[in-house]
Amino acid sequence: MLLIECPWCGPRAETEFSYGGEAGIVRPLDPDALSDEEWADYLFYRANPRGAHRELWNHAHGCRRWFGVERDTVSYRIAGSFRLGPAGSETGKGANTERDD
Amino acid sequence: MAAAQPNRLPRGGRIDRSRPLKFSLDGKSYTGFAGDTLASALIANGVLLVGRSFKLRRPRGIVGSGAEEPNAIMQVGEGAGAQPNLPATRVELRHGLVAHTTRGWPSVRFDIGAISDSFGRILGAGFYYKTFMYPRFLWKYYERAIRLSTGFGHAPAAPDPDVYEHRNAHCDVLVAGGGPAGLVAALAAARSGARVILADDGNEFGGSLLSCAEQVDGAPAADWVAGVVAELRGLPDCTLLPRGTVLGYHDHDFLTVAERCDVGEAADRQDHARPGETAERLWRIRAKRVILAQGGFERSLAFCNNDRPGVMLASAVSTYINRFAALPGRRAVVFTNNDSAYRTALDLAGARAAVEAIVDSRPGSGGELAARAQAQGIPVLHGRVVCDVTGKKRVRGVRIAEWGGDSWETIKSTIYIDCDLLAVSGGWSPAVHLHAQAGGSLDWDETRLCFLPAQARQSHDSAGAGNGRQSLDECLADGLRAGAEAVAKLGLAPAAIEAPAANSAGQLPIEALWRVPAERDADRCPKQFIDFQNDATVADIRLAVREGYRNVEHVKRYTALGFGTDQGKLGNINGMAVLADALGKTIPEVGTTTFRPVYTPVRFGTVAGESVGGLYDPVRKTALHEWHEAAGAPMEVVGQWHRPWYFPREGEDLHGAVARECLAVRNSVGAMDASTLGKIDARGPDVVEFLERIYTHNVGRMKVGRCAYGIMLGEDGMVMDDGVMARLGENHFYLTTTTGGAANVLNWLEAWLQTEWPELEVWLTSLTEHYSTIAVAGPNSRVLLEKLGCDIPLDKENFPFLTVRNAKLAGMPVQLFRVSFSGELAFEINIASQFALDMWRMVMEAGREFEIAPYGTETMHVLRAEKGFIIVGQETDGSVTPVDLGMNWLLSKEKDFLGKRSLARPDCLQEDRKQLVGLLSADRRTVLPEGAQLIEEAVRAGATPVPMCGHVTSSYHSACLGHPVALALVAGGRARKGETLFAVGPEREPIAVEVVSPVFYDPKGERQHV
Amino acid sequence: MSEAMAESAPDARVDINELPGRGFLNVRLDPRDKHAVKSAEQVLGQAMPLVANTYSSGTHRVYWLGPDEWLIETDAENAAALSGELGEALADFNVAINDVSGGHVAQRLSGPESRTVLAKGCTIDLHPREFGPGQCARTALARATVLLAAGSEPDSYTIIAARSFTDYLRHWLTHAAKK
Repeated sequence: MLLIECPWCGPRAETEFSYGGEAGIVRPLDPDALSDEEWADYLFYRANPRGAHRELWNHAHGCRRWFGVERDTVSYRIAGSFRLGPAGSETGKGANTERDD
Repeated sequence: MAAAQPNRLPRGGRIDRSRPLKFSLDGKSYTGFAGDTLASALIANGVLLVGRSFKLRRPRGIVGSGAEEPNAIMQVGEGAGAQPNLPATRVELRHGLVAHTTRGWPSVRFDIGAISDSFGRILGAGFYYKTFMYPRFLWKYYERAIRLSTGFGHAPAAPDPDVYEHRNAHCDVLVAGGGPAGLVAALAAARSGARVILADDGNEFGGSLLSCAEQVDGAPAADWVAGVVAELRGLPDCTLLPRGTVLGYHDHDFLTVAERCDVGEAADRQDHARPGETAERLWRIRAKRVILAQGGFERSLAFCNNDRPGVMLASAVSTYINRFAALPGRRAVVFTNNDSAYRTALDLAGARAAVEAIVDSRPGSGGELAARAQAQGIPVLHGRVVCDVTGKKRVRGVRIAEWGGDSWETIKSTIYIDCDLLAVSGGWSPAVHLHAQAGGSLDWDETRLCFLPAQARQSHDSAGAGNGRQSLDECLADGLRAGAEAVAKLGLAPAAIEAPAANSAGQLPIEALWRVPAERDADRCPKQFIDFQNDATVADIRLAVREGYRNVEHVKRYTALGFGTDQGKLGNINGMAVLADALGKTIPEVGTTTFRPVYTPVRFGTVAGESVGGLYDPVRKTALHEWHEAAGAPMEVVGQWHRPWYFPREGEDLHGAVARECLAVRNSVGAMDASTLGKIDARGPDVVEFLERIYTHNVGRMKVGRCAYGIMLGEDGMVMDDGVMARLGENHFYLTTTTGGAANVLNWLEAWLQTEWPELEVWLTSLTEHYSTIAVAGPNSRVLLEKLGCDIPLDKENFPFLTVRNAKLAGMPVQLFRVSFSGELAFEINIASQFALDMWRMVMEAGREFEIAPYGTETMHVLRAEKGFIIVGQETDGSVTPVDLGMNWLLSKEKDFLGKRSLARPDCLQEDRKQLVGLLSADRRTVLPEGAQLIEEAVRAGATPVPMCGHVTSSYHSACLGHPVALALVAGGRARKGETLFAVGPEREPIAVEVVSPVFYDPKGERQHV
Repeated sequence: MSEAMAESAPDARVDINELPGRGFLNVRLDPRDKHAVKSAEQVLGQAMPLVANTYSSGTHRVYWLGPDEWLIETDAENAAALSGELGEALADFNVAINDVSGGHVAQRLSGPESRTVLAKGCTIDLHPREFGPGQCARTALARATVLLAAGSEPDSYTIIAARSFTDYLRHWLTHAAKK
């Protein structure tokens, strides 16, 4: 069972959290301007890397905040948690962030 | 009772001779002592033959003294509380214990299946796959016979009467193993102020110190142990878990420990476990540092007939003598490739057993321990090996040959020695299981001939014999080192502590002997067993290689090596060595199989803990639950909620009650507890903008006080949830969700607010639990509310359909909604839950003159189906768009909303998508089975593959229409009205159905507007 | 309630009591809005705890639930009035105040074994050094989400949970306390 550092509540057991998938997937501002392929890319395709993965977690049984975690998909080691940055930042949500570990 | 405990030594051991304990094996009574294990008590009673082997049915005896035991697998206890598959070496003796051997029919001593030993040649590796594959149709018969003849104990049929619990714990240092290294490590950490948990598999701390004759700090080792344990017990932040087996080392330094609570003194005190007393406790521990000090496992050696009862691990022999005062044999031969077994020879001699010889494969003259043995007059035969064993149900003698160092050349035995016990040591393997489970790597040590823990992947360290240390001195020193390093890593000030000193003898290196050559070649000689529990032999592994297996994991699965309840603790490394040789590789090149939790078998009850019976899953109850129960309503489980299903009157069944409830709502008035709906307060300056993006309709156009039915889509365009929402103020909304979607929808909304649109200022607060919701539906609902006394006008003009008002009803503050899920004139009353029961009672009282019917979920379903209203999760399954449901009118063309773009994907535009329609059975009598598939021709189900064109999603008998109604998703369904299709279920003739509009009742929707 | 009470053994070293007459308000505001915080504190007569997982005690108890969310525990009769006062005082700020009295039930757990009982179903570290007076945590207890607060006396805790889970939790606690 993972030990996940909530940026607000500190380390808590994985069972308190729910998983939100890859971080940094930004919703296109004008979906209608996208081709079907581009929209499908946003909708369905994820990086699924071997190694460092930035992902979203929600402290569902705790403070109800969504935040980011950088987790190694091989070792499951967590490099750190981060609060999500302001919207519209260049590389999208979960990217413009401060480390909080 | 004349020959009571014939093999019990007159003195010594850690047993309590003042507390004799009666027990039985296979119906025969014996006596042992408190402090015995079942195995040691059996040995004291002269019982060594305890089972038959898995495949060949060879007689088998006790081999080991701990978790490595492959043979003595027992069924302990009787009836519902019986436990199968317990190694006798791990069962603490208690008064009245009833044990049965688990293999051998009709008895262990005479087993019909033993005849298969004669056919052993054809039962080689993979024999099931080869023998029983053809002809294929016979497999079902083969399988039945195979299943009868395999397995160990039998699981009790009745529910487990024992009670289990879980316990979460946190510590600075978890020490796994309370032997010499673990004790010193725990002491070093605890004295430095660390929170320490020390867990040990045994019934008392000390590990190997309890069964050795060595001294620590000039005193008997057991005295030193007692001192350390006493000190640890006195420290407030130190938790001691004897009988605590560390089962698993999981991610992020999370470990599980199974603590046996119903054995030892507890069992005696309770005289068969008092009901309600915890039988076993699962500790779930999050540690900052972990010290793994579980010691090592002695290996056997592979030689012909090495499985005969009376062939035992040398360390086990020492343990039975020193710890349990039980002598496994009277004429012994010791066979070894290393020094440790010399201690066993000395222990045997000390117990006045005849040690006929020590057979040492190593050439040369021997070291300090050999000198001690020789001083006692024990012959030491160097450069020789035991190559075969005689005797079937008990060792009768051994054949000994000179050995030149080549394991595969045939040899000739020159000496035969009579004996009834052969103590074997093939060297030691550190118990690296937890280290490996934690992701740590292993290094092969060419000198010590074992895998050692290398790189740690989590916060762990290994110490003592588990870290490859061999002498007691080394183990104590290594424990101290590990403890001090853990303290340093935690940033604590280390306490001064000196390494205890032991009188360890110097040791000579082990020799690389795994398989002993035989008088015939390896594939034809008598069986040389590697894995006793699964009858995997040297020849099997070689056969697997000849047949093309190369990977150790594949060989494991083909030969079943290491598959048993002992998980190869005894034989795996020998197996790797034989495999390496057959492949022409080195042992590290072959590698080990994967070490997985759990370390030793664990009871299912321990895993389940308290989560059984009524505590299996939370039961969520509404504020009106008590009333529903008193009214005799059966409950329907919806997620975790228990909702009243229907309210039967005397003599009514489900159908009778539902028909009556439906007619009450259609003709007069009914009331339902709708409290489980998700409720969200949404407000803030940007709330309209936010909800525009979430809902498909034009939220901004809603006037204050208006309600609307809204749906939300996933980004894939599929319907995710639905519900009524209301605009309470300019920037203030009230949203409802489905019962099952309440938590998910709130999380989903927060996800968008927090991660995608943090610039939007919106607050979401769940009111699901605060408000209870009472739906009052039916033509008389208005008069009923008026009768209760309402401070606002309820007429159509002042309070029209789809509006919301704050009001006082019967003097109590409520939110009143004019919404309807039945198609009738209806109101929903939101009231703070603490007052809900009072309100409900008043509604019922006031409704009496209208013959109000409380109704449950079933009637709600019928009423909404008559109207063609969908239920998310019933008409939808994550693959249904609003267009499929005919809800185009809800899709705003003027704005973007989540999922909108997906509706234009080619797949969503296809005309043959499944669409919502109504179905009427052609005979107007048959209620279609929900989930039935729809086909176009009346072919019998199963006759031939038939294209399916849809399925039934909802189906009920409609009392007010007098015939059944059904909703269905049908490919291109809207264009097929009037067509006949056929509904097929697994057991019925196809049922002819007519495709119709999904709205069966009041298609113009006039009744809800009155 | 009586069912659960009857279940506890007379020699139980844990007492489980429902706290009757409690009212609850949920407050959402941005703590960076100092004026809003101040206005709220003036009405409450006590601090809004800004440190995560802490609560303030005074006339009421104010629990930190999240970085912009608090739960005020007060007398039930007082809840509506307090909600009104807060609403008025904070009318000019971007806040949300909801009376959620109907949705919460508070129970008190005390006695020397109370920490052990909680540890059976709660994964947070309850050692008094880690979770002492003034600290609270929204977390999971058994299979329910709860707000757990350490009382000022040792081995005493307040458990606030959603109303629908009350029976389940009481059943679970009674069961856990029995052994």
